[in-house]
Amino acid sequence: MATIEPVAAHTETPVAAQPSSPPPAQPRSEALHFALRNPRVVIGIVVVGALLVLAVIGPWLTDADPFEFGFVTGAEPSRENWFGTTAPGQDVFAQFVHGLRASFVVGALSAAIAALIGMTVGFVAGYRGGVVDEVLSLFTNVVLVIPTLAVLIIVAAYLSVRGLVTEAVLIGVTSWPWAARAIRAQTFSLASRDFVSLARLSGARSTQVIVREIAPNMASYLFLVFILLFGGSVLTAAFLDFIGLGPTNAMSLGVMMNNAVVSGALPLGMWWWFLPPGLGIMAIVGGLYVMNVGLDEVFNPRLRET
Amino acid sequence: MVARKRTQRGLGAGALVVLALCVVVASTAVGAGARTDGPSALPRSQTLYVSGKQWGPYTDFNPFRQGDYATGVLGLVYETLFRYDPLKDRFIPWLATNGRWSGSTYVVTLRNLVTWSDGRPLTAADVKFSFETGKLPGSEFATMWQTGLQRVTTSGNRVSFHFRGTPNYQQWDTFRYTMPIVPRHIWASYSAQAITTGNNDDMSKLIGTGPFKYGGGKGGSQTLQWNRRDGWWANRALGKRMPMRYIVDIHNTSNTASLQNFLQSKIDLSNNFFPGIDKMIKGNVKTYYSRAPYMLAANAAWLVPNTTKKPLDDRNFRRALAFSINVGRIVRDDYGNIVSKASPTGLLPTWRKWIDTTAVRQLGYAYNVDRAKQILQQNGYRDRDGDGFVENKDGSKLDLRLIVPNGWSDWMTAIQMIADSTKAAGIKITPAYPDFNALVEERNSGKFELVINNEVQLSNGPYVYYDYLFRLPIREQQTTRNFQRYANQQAWRLTTQLNKTPSTNVARHKQLNSQLQRIMLRDLPAIPLWYNGMWAQYNTTHWTNFASASGSGLQNTPSTWNGYLNMTGIDALAKLRPR
Amino acid sequence: MSLYLARKTFLYLVTFVVAVSVDWAIPRLMPGDPINGLIARLQADPTAAEQLHGYFTESFGLDQPLWRQYLDFWRGLAQGDLGPSIAYVGSSVNDLLLNAVPYTLALLVPAILLSYIAGNRVGALAARRKALDNSVLPLAYVLTATPYMWLALVLAYVVGFRWGVLPVSGAYDFSLQPAWTWEFARSFATHWFLPFLSLFLVSFGGWAIGMRNLIIYELEADYANYLQALGAPNGLVRRYAYRNAVLPQMSGLALALGAVVGGALVTEVVFGYPGVGSLILTAVQNRDYFLLQGAFLFIIIGVLIANFVVDLLYMVVDPRTRVGAGRA
Repeated sequence: MATIEPVAAHTETPVAAQPSSPPPAQPRSEALHFALRNPRVVIGIVVVGALLVLAVIGPWLTDADPFEFGFVTGAEPSRENWFGTTAPGQDVFAQFVHGLRASFVVGALSAAIAALIGMTVGFVAGYRGGVVDEVLSLFTNVVLVIPTLAVLIIVAAYLSVRGLVTEAVLIGVTSWPWAARAIRAQTFSLASRDFVSLARLSGARSTQVIVREIAPNMASYLFLVFILLFGGSVLTAAFLDFIGLGPTNAMSLGVMMNNAVVSGALPLGMWWWFLPPGLGIMAIVGGLYVMNVGLDEVFNPRLRET
Repeated sequence: MVARKRTQRGLGAGALVVLALCVVVASTAVGAGARTDGPSALPRSQTLYVSGKQWGPYTDFNPFRQGDYATGVLGLVYETLFRYDPLKDRFIPWLATNGRWSGSTYVVTLRNLVTWSDGRPLTAADVKFSFETGKLPGSEFATMWQTGLQRVTTSGNRVSFHFRGTPNYQQWDTFRYTMPIVPRHIWASYSAQAITTGNNDDMSKLIGTGPFKYGGGKGGSQTLQWNRRDGWWANRALGKRMPMRYIVDIHNTSNTASLQNFLQSKIDLSNNFFPGIDKMIKGNVKTYYSRAPYMLAANAAWLVPNTTKKPLDDRNFRRALAFSINVGRIVRDDYGNIVSKASPTGLLPTWRKWIDTTAVRQLGYAYNVDRAKQILQQNGYRDRDGDGFVENKDGSKLDLRLIVPNGWSDWMTAIQMIADSTKAAGIKITPAYPDFNALVEERNSGKFELVINNEVQLSNGPYVYYDYLFRLPIREQQTTRNFQRYANQQAWRLTTQLNKTPSTNVARHKQLNSQLQRIMLRDLPAIPLWYNGMWAQYNTTHWTNFASASGSGLQNTPSTWNGYLNMTGIDALAKLRPR
Repeated sequence: MSLYLARKTFLYLVTFVVAVSVDWAIPRLMPGDPINGLIARLQADPTAAEQLHGYFTESFGLDQPLWRQYLDFWRGLAQGDLGPSIAYVGSSVNDLLLNAVPYTLALLVPAILLSYIAGNRVGALAARRKALDNSVLPLAYVLTATPYMWLALVLAYVVGFRWGVLPVSGAYDFSLQPAWTWEFARSFATHWFLPFLSLFLVSFGGWAIGMRNLIIYELEADYANYLQALGAPNGLVRRYAYRNAVLPQMSGLALALGAVVGGALVTEVVFGYPGVGSLILTAVQNRDYFLLQGAFLFIIIGVLIANFVVDLLYMVVDPRTRVGAGRA
């Protein structure tokens, strides 16, 4: 199985090393066993899981609404406001947990969209080969080279109402190319395997072959791809939010940072306003990446160091 | 061998980087607006650093483009016939020594011995030419020629403006201090398009009567520099002298950056809007007032309802709305008290003398949730479904959409506070933040429900505010006035009469103001919320004697924003002293 | 060799046409009339506003049929004219961009090059030294997961505001003008350092991790085992492994460019550095179609050229391309 790692992680383009022969398919229980013993996987799961839990139950821990005013303006963290307050007097903790929610939602949704597109393009191109492959590859490469952030900026700038879903769709629709490329490469090597030829000979249609034979054998790989897409989307969403192109009606971690900078949090020393959101993003993305590396080791014994 | 290859590669990379940097430095030296004269590092005690007005590159040097020209083009380079002091409500003869009405003709006597910076004398022909640019297509001064002015004639150093019928005195008064006077011998060669919408950034042609000339920084530079010039007419005629040799305006990139530079004493006069500055006003940081609201008021922020939509067409509902908004909290928590609550009439503090206090007492409003609830009850707005919000008279759900441009964070915060406070009275408001262009579309075409607006600035009289509230006719697209689409023939008639009443007729002015205010308070076509400040913070480390409420001769407009230098901004600068 | 080059050239040409068309189309497909927004900003009174609207629509060519606007756009592009700016009426997009480009390049080029080189070296070192691996790798992960603007904010806050050591806005002190003096050079360097450092650190992490994994992978490949079995010195094996690992890193470099540009954008915003990123932000805030288009085009062309250069370098480095075998 080829390795994937987040090279220059802010691209959605981790580099796939030259694919070699895929490892023997592992029984599920064995994979799980190794997974839970791999320190990286554990750390990743713990960090991301903790934040996920916080995102879910957080809004119930505090009865403050992220947009509600009335607290002391610009206050440091205290017993009343765990993360302090913003310059106009909102509760930073409330904003933080709602922002976490937004990040998870956007990340998951756009990763799902990107994965879907990437899988479709990658599978079809890798399996069919020939002209179909050429056309799809050209399409993929074109979208790959275009700096998607620039496109996102222009498109987002002209949408008058932007919600979390819109943002997720935009990011998902522009971040799939590297996934398509990676999946295509894997599909190539798998498509030449015996069991696939067998399925083809027995008259199964392409979609059936892909869905029934190829995909399940790449399940772990696909999972890794999804994780990386998730992390990349969270980062991209933070970018868009930070320059003011985020959701117009919801709180997100990037929006928090934007508000903080615009309101002069830096010269006024309100570190509690812009440090937590960045740390939150870092934790989610970092946890995902670490988890990805760990799982990579689990699925590809060659990388294991135990 | 391995080691050498490595070092070679390392050296190669290093060389690349150094080369890249050299290229960059070289190109910035060439690319950025090159300085024409002056030392490469300016003497601090002779240089005034200002900031706050310019958020884009210094490209526009055309004084006829009132909202757009680079800092100081009008005021430091080009000047006007008169200047206006809003705090004393008087006109200051500037390029003109005198102006008076003779029937429906306004006769201006031009000052003698005024020279352009190229040495040529200022003549009546220059004035005639400047005013006639308002006739060109695309001119921002077109209105002048459509409201009575017929022709301009000259005779010696006298310029006569001939009006048809009763002149629009109030509007004319504004043009007296906003119309830039440009040299005919240079501008006559410009095309009509260049005059009305060109940048006119050929520095050899930037010839004005003002105290400064171009020093460097045109284009994408970080700063724009003005150098004091000899031969300014006011030196001799008025004994006035600008104390600084250089004025450097700083291009703003972000408020945070500007605030940091200001606090580090790198900026002397900052006209930035700094949320949170109230916490820093101590020591060397000063403002016009030493206490809240710290700043002079420059314009009013209005809550504009679309009076064609239910229930905003019901003035009783609008009244209830006015009672339910806690403006005090916006002033205190959103703005840190650097703005002030508006008078129920919306008239700026400088127009205080025109406010009919009796009318305000009888018909005014203030934040009072119980009163709001009472008015709603009395007029058939009840909460029938028990969700905490009232419904329309016909029972349909009442949910008003209040919009401000996305990114205007203080306004975004303000409307959240408004929605929060009207909730207590039972009025449901949903804040939304469309993009600026989308908002303009919605507002101009009358599709909006509630919007915040503050486009009308301080000027020579409250006429502009009544114009803003009552202008008729209402078109399909309302682009600058009467977004609320409020049609009151009587109000518009009174407004036009006010326009046509000379400022000398104080009694008639008082009467008309009173009548108009009564209509406004009774009907509330728009609800004034707070007064935005003429943002000005001073760092007195290098310069002192800034404009202030106390201190003789210091009551001036301390702003470099467009349109203020030709009020008393020049005086504010002239009074400064180096430390 | 020519096949590889031909394929790449074809790809970039297609990408260029598609990108330019997308660039041109998006602003025009969006709702809203930019001229209205422009007029609103001018705050002209009603009569003047009407005149100005017609005037601007005509002068920007927005009243032409779409297909003609499209052709005009290509024609202008061929002549190197990116059109007028809407937000800064009277200025050409070219001028605005040319003023901003040097600053962005000043940040991007050193940051990309140095982070790539340093990241690869450190990654390779970490692959074979356990101690380094355990300390560097987690740091690299943290760095690569850090959003660009957050690291910029932290650096700006700690170094700029709290310690007051380095400036956090502008490209040089504004009492100076660009000139060949030590004073200017020093001012430029101190203003440049923090944004550069911010970009460098984040990118560095990614390269280090990538290289480290690739090296490990290579060191376990057959040829490496074979060489070691033959008794070749470790240094030799590592050198071969490094060379092989560089290949995918290099192709990754080309692809990473697009994203680092995004990083430069937010970094410029945080530090108020007057590059293309700040210009884009202003264009966004003012809904300036032409300026956005022009900036976008500049980025596209830059990225394509950089990609092409990297591909040429790749051809030099990977003999298989020259032989015509191409890449899988």
